[in-house]
Amino acid sequence: MWKNSSLRCLLALAILCLRSLIYSQEIGSLGHPQNLKCVTHNLRKMICTWDVSSKGRHGQTDFCYTTNDLPPPVCFKTKEKRVEIPVPESSSMVTITTNSISGTAFATKEFEIHKEDIWFVPLTPRILSLTPDFSTSTLNLKWSDNGSVFPYGLGAFWQIQILRKAAMEKVTQVTYYSKLTHEDIILSWNWTSDMPLECTSHYVKIRCYINVTQFVGPKDWSDWSPVEEVPGKDTEPNGSGVFPQDTVVAVGSDVTICCVHEEGQQIKRMTYGPEIYPMIHLSSRSSAIRVLNASASNTSGTNVVCILSGDEMDGTVLFVGYAPDIPQNLSCETSNFLNIKCTWKPGRPSGLYGKRRTKYSLFERISGRNVSCEVNEMNRERVCGFPVLADQKTYDFILGVSNPIGQTESSLVVDLTQRVHPKTPEKLTVSGNSSTSVRLHWFINGSFAEIRLLCQIEIRSGHSERKLHNISMPGGKFSTYTAQLNALRPYTKYHFRVRCSAADHFWRWSDWSMVEEHTTLEAPPTRGPDIWRERSPSGKSLKIFWKPLSLSEANGKIVSHEVSCYVLETPLEYKEVTEPSNSTEIKLGKNDCVISVVAKNHAGSSPPSRITSVELPSDNVKTDRAVAMGNGIYISWNSYPNMTCGYIVKWCHSSGSEPCSVDWQKFPSNTTDAVIKSALFRPGVRYNFSLYGCQSSGYQLLKNITGYMKELPPKRAPNFTVEETSSDSILVKWEDIPIEDCQGFLEGYRLSFAKGEKDALKPRLSESGNPELKVKNITDLTKKSLKILDLQGKTSYQLDLQAYTAGGLSPPNSLYVVTKEDSVGLIIAILIPVAVVVLLGVVASVFCYRKREWIKETFYPEIPNPENSKALQFQKNICEGNKTLKTLEMNPCTPNSVEVVETRSAAPKIEDTEMMSPAADTTVPEDGSDSETENHVVVSYCPPIIEEEISNPPTDEPVGSSQVVYIDIQSMYQPQIKPEEEPEIDLVTTAGYKPQMQLPISALKIESRSLAEEELDKTAGYRPQANTNTWNMDTPDSPGSVESNNENASFGSPCSINSRQFLLPPKDDEDSPKPSNIGWSFTHFFQNKPND
Amino acid sequence: MAAADSSSAALRRRDLCSRGIRLAGKMRSDVIDLLDTYVERQGLDASASVAVVEGVPVAAVERWDEQTGTQRLLENLAAYRAFRALLAQMLEEQREQLGEADAALGRALAAVLLQVSAFAYHLEELLRLESRGLPSEEGAGPPPPSHLGLFERKLWGLGVLRELAQWAVRSARDLRQLTKPSPGSSLAPSPAESP
Repeated sequence: MWKNSSLRCLLALAILCLRSLIYSQEIGSLGHPQNLKCVTHNLRKMICTWDVSSKGRHGQTDFCYTTNDLPPPVCFKTKEKRVEIPVPESSSMVTITTNSISGTAFATKEFEIHKEDIWFVPLTPRILSLTPDFSTSTLNLKWSDNGSVFPYGLGAFWQIQILRKAAMEKVTQVTYYSKLTHEDIILSWNWTSDMPLECTSHYVKIRCYINVTQFVGPKDWSDWSPVEEVPGKDTEPNGSGVFPQDTVVAVGSDVTICCVHEEGQQIKRMTYGPEIYPMIHLSSRSSAIRVLNASASNTSGTNVVCILSGDEMDGTVLFVGYAPDIPQNLSCETSNFLNIKCTWKPGRPSGLYGKRRTKYSLFERISGRNVSCEVNEMNRERVCGFPVLADQKTYDFILGVSNPIGQTESSLVVDLTQRVHPKTPEKLTVSGNSSTSVRLHWFINGSFAEIRLLCQIEIRSGHSERKLHNISMPGGKFSTYTAQLNALRPYTKYHFRVRCSAADHFWRWSDWSMVEEHTTLEAPPTRGPDIWRERSPSGKSLKIFWKPLSLSEANGKIVSHEVSCYVLETPLEYKEVTEPSNSTEIKLGKNDCVISVVAKNHAGSSPPSRITSVELPSDNVKTDRAVAMGNGIYISWNSYPNMTCGYIVKWCHSSGSEPCSVDWQKFPSNTTDAVIKSALFRPGVRYNFSLYGCQSSGYQLLKNITGYMKELPPKRAPNFTVEETSSDSILVKWEDIPIEDCQGFLEGYRLSFAKGEKDALKPRLSESGNPELKVKNITDLTKKSLKILDLQGKTSYQLDLQAYTAGGLSPPNSLYVVTKEDSVGLIIAILIPVAVVVLLGVVASVFCYRKREWIKETFYPEIPNPENSKALQFQKNICEGNKTLKTLEMNPCTPNSVEVVETRSAAPKIEDTEMMSPAADTTVPEDGSDSETENHVVVSYCPPIIEEEISNPPTDEPVGSSQVVYIDIQSMYQPQIKPEEEPEIDLVTTAGYKPQMQLPISALKIESRSLAEEELDKTAGYRPQANTNTWNMDTPDSPGSVESNNENASFGSPCSINSRQFLLPPKDDEDSPKPSNIGWSFTHFFQNKPND
Repeated sequence: MAAADSSSAALRRRDLCSRGIRLAGKMRSDVIDLLDTYVERQGLDASASVAVVEGVPVAAVERWDEQTGTQRLLENLAAYRAFRALLAQMLEEQREQLGEADAALGRALAAVLLQVSAFAYHLEELLRLESRGLPSEEGAGPPPPSHLGLFERKLWGLGVLRELAQWAVRSARDLRQLTKPSPGSSLAPSPAESP
């Protein structure tokens, strides 16, 4: 029990102690209000807040303040630590007393609030609306400025922040300024996003700052307003698409295009046109691409395609173009005073078509009327119509131009009466029954009552220049206009057309009307025809000629000519000659009369032309030449004082087989020369003119004149023949050229000659450039022959003959003539050489005969003296050191033994057995066994019996073929010849000889020889040198030269069958190709001498 | 006399079918050319796959060989009437979007539209020859694609032209099928045939 009571006491004591502790703490803590802060939002009232240092419970707070330091203070109780009190003008004393819960005051503190300490922070602005415009990607923000609580005229700054994506990334922050008007104004601000608003969510918040200059306390921005959101398509459950949808942007813009897809899909790629662009991640369902500096798209726009997983695709079309250009050359005019047509050039194309095309509207400021213009986009010049308004002359036009990218305008003020461009005159008609005047009528569709018209009539006729005739006339309403034209030519086809313009203020001509044709009526011819007459050769009839009148003189179609013949006003004869005849003949007998000719057309007759038929006698009529002028013929004559009424030059045109047509020209009496021109004159044709003088009593022939309009070269050369030929001269004769072939006055002939054979391909002599060409010019036209002298006998000459005029040379006629042979010269040329030869022969014969002993001793001794032998000298030289001649080398120069290979040889041994026959080395045996024959030393000899050798078969006796005796004549007689020269000499020497004993081989080589000849050779045992085949075979190039091309010089001379004597002396070897019969004769001569 | 009439009708039908086959061949050739032009001028990818377009008759059909001749004609007629309306709409669309800027494409479209109209008329002639009443044209027009974006409308046009090209092939085969003699009915199908 005690325990309980004591416990109770202890518990009560503890509670009391605790309570007293708490209480004492409340009383004893600072507990004072502190950090009083006052903020005003509207400059009139301020909100003051403070802190209390104790966190313990307390009751109401007594709050007292004095306004402007003036007692009594205003007191009130508050449970909060926040009061709203008026803003003092300068300062305010504030007493804050904190009470306990029981109501006991335990802390009081006084504050003095100065106005400088009061903060001014505007109220947080509230966004009234945030409206998206998806088509333009624009956000419209609206909020109230709360201006009613502030004095008028304060400046307010509004800071607006745009945030994007779920992460609220700041996109932009702008400051908007406004003035407060002491009224609550709803402010509005637009922001255009660079990204379509559908792409992702956009957020906006706003705060403000009011610049109260008279407020001395600190000022601050308001708090940010709550965020307003514009959700993107990616937040919608099924939202998808490519944005922006089908928009138009300017060229050079930066464009962001996004692709929003459904949950679970993936974007594979995004393309702009043909290009793939890198993607910008916006959200899990949205990505974008950014196209920088977009270039103009094509007519159907640029496709932006979003390829999604599963090969699905979505896309949009972007049109990139230009803002409209300022219209150029704006011009307005009326064609009928009903409509005004304005035209302009559009300038740079916008690149936008169809519904996005550039649109035009015409606004007239004075009347306030507006018309929209339908224009063709593809036309370079645009046209727009505007109605003409009643009682309005001046028009002030504004041409408005717009397209989705921009707009512009152009203006023009016009006085319509000065901008009249009438429509094309229509229904042009021409009327008139006169030969010189017509009336024209035309209609212009338009009301021109207020102005005068100036119309221009173009007059064209076939033979005259274009003429313009201007007529000014009052304008009418849809009227027909009339004009009369005078001074036209009769019977002339005219072409008329009309155009009109405003007369007072010219602007533009209308187009020309259609051409209208009209022919004026006929009138009588203005004058009589130009006439001439000629008596017939018999003198019994007179032919009258007249020239047709020109169109301007005929005044119509001439139907006939009346020809009358009067004698003293009495008509003798009358004729009416219908067209187209221009001459007639009347029979006069021997009478004369005055002839009258009148031209008639449908409108009447011309005045008569008269001429007398009297022809005065004339004597000693000369014929002169006229001068060709190229385009006419110049003729002149002396002045004849008696010719009082002028001169007549008459000529005649002849063309082919038709009769000559007479023409004439009249000249006044003071004329003494003239150039006669006619389209009928032809170059190269000779014309004959007759000059008549006119006297009152008749006409007199004064002179005949011939001439050419232009002289040409003669058509052909005269025919010529050779009359006579000798060994040194030719006589040629030629004929005249007919006049018609002359084509000009013949001035001479040109005869060219030179040596030459007849050859069809040879050029003309004059063109051949032959230096021996000789030319003879014959200017005497009467001369018809020419003898050409100093020619060579028996020589062919080419002769060319040409005629020439002032126009040039004719083509030549050519002849080839061979002069006769000079027989005396020929005889002399033959006799002199013959005589010389005979004389030389006789002298040589006498000499040889007298010196025959010496010759024999010298050249053909019975026993040759070795000391005199050149052959031995030659061998000596070889032995001394010439190693090159291998075939003649006798190493060591010791005599070889002599082997007699043919026992039946009757020839005695001779001293030159040491000489190795070269033929032994070079002659190839037929069986090829050369080993034996190579070392044979062959005795030179001439076998007396050949036939036996030939009969031996070569295979049995191969050595037999080497029994030929070769004597190296060459080495014997010309040892001094250098070895290197030998082959050349060999050619010469070997050419003159074939060994007589080599018949079988020779027979093989000479295929062309006949059998009879071979037989003859066999029997003879010798082949004469005259055989040309033999000569030829030994040429180095021939196959036979293989044998003879060695050092074998023994071919140099033939060897007689019956003697060892040389047939030809060595010095004659070089002449061996000479006819062999001569050599043969001399050999015989020497050989036979002893016998003689 | 009746035999002669029957023979004349058969000849007439054969003639109409032959001309129809030629028309379909020409139409297909022109549509292929138009497709090339369309793809090029609209900046599309020629290989782009286009989903089945609403309102465009589909050329593919199951059990083609079991169709009767009349059924073939009726299906063809319905298809070409639909294409006539679709092409007219494409032409209007093209004028609206491009104005006079791309006259060549407009001309080509108009030319194909004319051929489609002519072919539809040709089919009507064939049906008349079979003494069949012509179906009314109500409901033949497809829903306007105005709710679609421009890109979708381009693809829609591509789908229309591609399907028209398919139809030109099918029509030629259908008409060839009609020209074959078949026992019983003049327009009865030949079961063994398949397109």
